[in-house]
Amino acid sequence: MRFSQLSDMNAILGSSLSKSFQHYQVLKEVSVEIQQGECYALFGPNGAGKTTLLRIFATLHRPTSGRFEIMGMDGSRDRVKVRNTIYLIGHGSYLYDDLSVKENIQFAIGIRGWNPTDGEIKKALDQVGIGRFSRLRSRYLSAGMKKRLSIAKALLIRPKVLFLDEGYASLDERGVDMMNECIRTFTKAGTAVLMTTHDRGPTAEVAHRVGVLNRSALTEMTVKEMVAADALF
Amino acid sequence: MHFFSVIRWIAWKDLLSEYRNRENISSMFFFALNVILIFSFSFSLDPVTIKEIMPGIIWVAFGFTAIIGLGKSFLIEVNNDCMEYFQTLPVPKGAIYLGKFLGNLLFMLTVEVILFPLFVLFFNLDILDQLLPLLLISAVATIGLSALGTLFSALTVQVRAREVMFPILLLPLSVPIFIGAVEATRGALSGDAFSMYSHWIELLLVFDVIFVIVSFWIFEFILDY
Repeated sequence: MRFSQLSDMNAILGSSLSKSFQHYQVLKEVSVEIQQGECYALFGPNGAGKTTLLRIFATLHRPTSGRFEIMGMDGSRDRVKVRNTIYLIGHGSYLYDDLSVKENIQFAIGIRGWNPTDGEIKKALDQVGIGRFSRLRSRYLSAGMKKRLSIAKALLIRPKVLFLDEGYASLDERGVDMMNECIRTFTKAGTAVLMTTHDRGPTAEVAHRVGVLNRSALTEMTVKEMVAADALF
Repeated sequence: MHFFSVIRWIAWKDLLSEYRNRENISSMFFFALNVILIFSFSFSLDPVTIKEIMPGIIWVAFGFTAIIGLGKSFLIEVNNDCMEYFQTLPVPKGAIYLGKFLGNLLFMLTVEVILFPLFVLFFNLDILDQLLPLLLISAVATIGLSALGTLFSALTVQVRAREVMFPILLLPLSVPIFIGAVEATRGALSGDAFSMYSHWIELLLVFDVIFVIVSFWIFEFILDY
């Protein structure tokens, strides 16, 4: 069976992905399949390669070997088409300090060729709890508020595949609940969510499957197994 | 056309950010002002000699102002990992370059328009008759400088020795621009007929086209390595 036929139902398909930086092998023959509407949580110790795997799927790194597809498109050859379907919430906020919250959203979405209405922006900001800060310059936002703003952008972009790098980092308890609510909204709409995280509790509420990346290799488990385990790695 | 809308969004973002913080324009302006003051107090010149050395003074001021301003133009994209956002965007990367280039060009032209009256004031120049050709020369030369400066700013922004590398890359390649600009400015300030120095402007235009096209093409590889 051809690679592309295998991936008909998959939003993300990685096959034997390896990645090395200089002589250090971060990922070794990692394979993973994530379906549309599924939330896949990726655990692992620091330096295990979680972010590297995420960045390969987000077309920011090229794998040393192996192939991957996003929504049935080859991740190495059809990078522009792939980028039309994905959104990454990474470690950086992707914000311009001297633009307001609303202007940052207008820029981030507008540059993708779509101009959301004021009402749509307000709705997204209200959904993540920062509606009243829409005119505040983003240099005055806390890390948690910046994370919320990134989620608001994702809600407006409505990607087919969402990558969350340390999804719960910087968020307070309400923020974590809000994040999980948004993840549910995404998965109900058919978006595949791949998140790296260290927080088992909140992850158990939304994840459908779990992977543990350790010593360059990926081990999969169910959410129940993840919750019951004394230690994941 | 989405391509042009990307250019517009990038330029809008850069201009709005600069309008609000004025970090780049103010540092460019005060550096150029220093150059003007130093030269004006160093020489007490008669009108004929002034016209001989003014093209050099003008383009020393504009050139080093460009180094200060253009060198920082991509810092705004690094601060919150915005370059990473650009990398994941489903848009032609060349459009991002053209947007940055347009923003830089407008900064540079703004500073130059502010500086021209200062040259007149400090060097007692009578350039009213030659104002249009001088503005044309400035604009044409600044296009080339901005094209190169935008490219090298993107190339060096992640380099540790950015402030050293940027002028090392920019200055040698911008020599043709400075030669053309100085010669054309000399012609204009001397009151020569436009046809006598227009070939220098044509040369500048050729370099503008080359630099913009080559930078546009290379930028794709810088951002999408």
